[in-house]
Amino acid sequence: MGELFRRLRYLIHRRRLDAELENDMAFHREMAARAGRSNFGNTLRMREQAREAWGWTWLDRLGQDLRYGVRILARSPGFTIMAVLVLAIGIGVNVAAFTVFDVVALEPLPVRNPGSLVRLERRSPNAYTDGAPYTSLLFYQKNAKTLSAVMGVLGVPPMQVNDDIQQASASFITPNYFTELGTPAAAGRLFDPTRDGDPASAPSVVISYGFWQRRFGGDASVVGRIIHIDRKPATVIGVTPYAFASLGGQRPDIWIPMIQQPYFVEGSHTLTDPGDSAVRMWGRLAPDISAKTAGQELRALTDQLRRQNPKDIWDNEYIQISPCGHMQVMQPEMYQVAAMVAVLTLLILAVACANLGGLMLARAVTREREIGIRVAIGANRGRIFRQLCTESLLLAMLGALAGLALGSAVTQIALTKMDTPKWVTAAPDWRVLLFTVAVMFAAAIFFGLMPALQIARHRQHKTIARQILVGAQIAASCVLMIVAGLLVRATQHALYTDPGFGYRQMLSIDPHLGRHGYAPAAARAYFDQMQARLRATPGVLSVSLVKLPPLGHVVDRETTDIAGHKVLIYPNWVEPGFFQTMNIPILLGRTFYPREKNAVIVSQSFARQQWPNQNPIGQRLGDDDASKSIVVGVAGNAHINALSDDDATEQYWSAQPDDIPDMVVLARTAGTPDSLPPIAKSISESLDPKIFPEIRQLKLLYHDNISGIEKAAMAVSLIGLVAVLVAGIGIIGLVSFTVSQRMKEIAIRIALGARRGQVLSAVLRQFSWPVALGLVAGTAIAAAASRVLRIALYGISNLDPFSYAGAICVLVAIIAIAALLPARRALRVDLAKILHYE
Amino acid sequence: MPMSYMPKAGMPSGALPMLILRVLQSGTLHGYAIAQRIHVLSSEVLGVEEGLLYPTLQKMLVKGWVTAEWGISETNRKVRFYRLTPDGRKRLKAELSDYDRVTQAIQNILRTA
Repeated sequence: MGELFRRLRYLIHRRRLDAELENDMAFHREMAARAGRSNFGNTLRMREQAREAWGWTWLDRLGQDLRYGVRILARSPGFTIMAVLVLAIGIGVNVAAFTVFDVVALEPLPVRNPGSLVRLERRSPNAYTDGAPYTSLLFYQKNAKTLSAVMGVLGVPPMQVNDDIQQASASFITPNYFTELGTPAAAGRLFDPTRDGDPASAPSVVISYGFWQRRFGGDASVVGRIIHIDRKPATVIGVTPYAFASLGGQRPDIWIPMIQQPYFVEGSHTLTDPGDSAVRMWGRLAPDISAKTAGQELRALTDQLRRQNPKDIWDNEYIQISPCGHMQVMQPEMYQVAAMVAVLTLLILAVACANLGGLMLARAVTREREIGIRVAIGANRGRIFRQLCTESLLLAMLGALAGLALGSAVTQIALTKMDTPKWVTAAPDWRVLLFTVAVMFAAAIFFGLMPALQIARHRQHKTIARQILVGAQIAASCVLMIVAGLLVRATQHALYTDPGFGYRQMLSIDPHLGRHGYAPAAARAYFDQMQARLRATPGVLSVSLVKLPPLGHVVDRETTDIAGHKVLIYPNWVEPGFFQTMNIPILLGRTFYPREKNAVIVSQSFARQQWPNQNPIGQRLGDDDASKSIVVGVAGNAHINALSDDDATEQYWSAQPDDIPDMVVLARTAGTPDSLPPIAKSISESLDPKIFPEIRQLKLLYHDNISGIEKAAMAVSLIGLVAVLVAGIGIIGLVSFTVSQRMKEIAIRIALGARRGQVLSAVLRQFSWPVALGLVAGTAIAAAASRVLRIALYGISNLDPFSYAGAICVLVAIIAIAALLPARRALRVDLAKILHYE
Repeated sequence: MPMSYMPKAGMPSGALPMLILRVLQSGTLHGYAIAQRIHVLSSEVLGVEEGLLYPTLQKMLVKGWVTAEWGISETNRKVRFYRLTPDGRKRLKAELSDYDRVTQAIQNILRTA
């Protein structure tokens, strides 16, 4: 410690101490001269050597290098601006992508102790659901010692507020929700377990800040007011804060205590039925308890639950515990997407760095004289190398600063567009800053190291390094362009081709009868009347029932193993008329009879995979003998709940009486279905005023679904174009540099009568094979890597030739322009001037 | 040029810090006097060049074995005098015992081999 302290003292007082040292040595020489000796060495050098003992020489050198670097960069502002710009794009894109990832997955929620919040989900080796029965939640809440709290959220279809035309979203929550998060109220008070956990207490609701502003104009007197929700009176007791951070990013307009659910949803058994897995569960780990310990306890508790009601708990069921103290609970698939985005943005950085590396190498030739002089006056290779690295680092620092600004600005725009929760900001936090510094060093190494090595070894005339850099740029741009091309094609395909089912004139009407406690017979009667009256409505072509409606809230999904590879199956339960209503063709066999048992209809692609080259009709399907079903028909492929995934397959089962309370009405109209929702509403009203059906137009849902891929296609296209432009700029720079280097040779050739084409090809030949190799490598990488994209391509093959050809054509065109623009200069040379030079 | 930095004949490598510490044991000295003292006490066998003396002194300052303070030289000039610190004394002791052990070992070999 003492030594470090002394060293620092020497750093701080080095001027004074250096003067003292100088004095010592001067005195020494005076005395030696008196003694008659006069052979002194180089005093400056000796002092330097003595000072080295202090251990700060490197700092002096760094200072020198930095000052020199700043001077060099300031002397060629064109190069510096260009380099900083290219780097800013490369680094900025990465900073923006990381900031989004940071906000979504790393930044802790601004709530009380976010680190111990966990998401609790039911899992078993072959089943999962994101909800749990309320009865289980209560059981865990009461018995789990490793959890200090269990919170539940029951999402429900939009609810009617007073007589508003627009329905409001609502969630039922356990009363400890706000107290566990430590949420302050913007007005009034929020729920509190001691006051809002009693079913006998007066019905109360909390509204969101946005709803308060939108619906009530921010009127403070709304607290205490009675509003009607689905015609049930309830008191507004408070407003959540403006920048409210909720669990799982949920933002309903209205929050209602869970215990009041039977009051608002008449006839519902959700709170008492141990088979209704409707409540999403969150928890807080007790102090010093790990997720693993809690998992073991919950597994034991789940086993107890199974003994109580064996039919509702799966075999080997356990509760999956995942940390959720940030905006999004990350699922493995999301990490996959994140990794893909990371690869794309890093490719841009690679293009930018390769580009800059090329420029640096080209510049080295012009700096040859300067470096030669420095070597001549005694600089060694190490010192030159260090100097060049310092310059690169300086450039990288400037680029990183600009990139940070650019990235933050882009993220700001993206976040406002994405309608993120209000607590989210794009201002870089320490993680983003750390990431930026890391990217800065990586970039400096990538674009600076190779040129520096080459220059320090006096090898800057070797073109191989430049060629490698060009090849790398082209390859990376190629990957980006192909991915962009695939996504654009997928968007086009999704928008303009038939998805295998009719969606333009479809309406789904979901009365949620099961949630209102309808028995199968009553539900049957309700649906029979509803269907009859809809059929009698002019313009309605076909009406049917389905359990899992297209693009619905609930998706059922299984995987099975066919001949060694995993196949995703989307099962559904339908009435016989479903295929006709949805315009899904029956390709083989027939549709169901009403309530038919042990029969299944499979999709074409499932039949092909399961029974290749066989007649699927009459084949058996099912796990055990008792439930084995016979295939009665083959339907056309229609991924009604997995639009973008062309590898999905479907199985349809005939709806049984027990399924009826959970069914949804589908109606197809002749023209646009715009006039139908009010009619459906009034039919429902007359059948049962308690029911507020959720009516959705398939066309709108379909377009919502596609707008996601559309946005992705646009973002990737933009990124790809930026990369290609950066690569183009780099090629322009390189070719013009080559031309200016070889101007004399070109002039001589022209003077001797060479044709223009020959001259051009002589100039450009050295770039042709790196471009060709880059294209081949890029295409190969894209072909290999795009397999993970299949799930999002709406049936476009990841090897779609049009996308590849289109991307490569665009790329080649840009490269050609970038190469020819500066090369043309070679043909317009003033022969006399050039040949007279020197 | 490099020759002038080399110690004169017979200065064993690594011995200089020990010698400096030893001559400072009896009192403070300035740099020139340290070199002189070593030269004289070695019966003019060992010489210390300033190119080696001052880097070594700087190292010893940083290590905290000696401190420097202003004083007036015999020629009436302001110059820094070096003083042994308690750490320096400890160091000297350790170096001396190390040195003794090594010379003893060498002597043993020379006598018996």
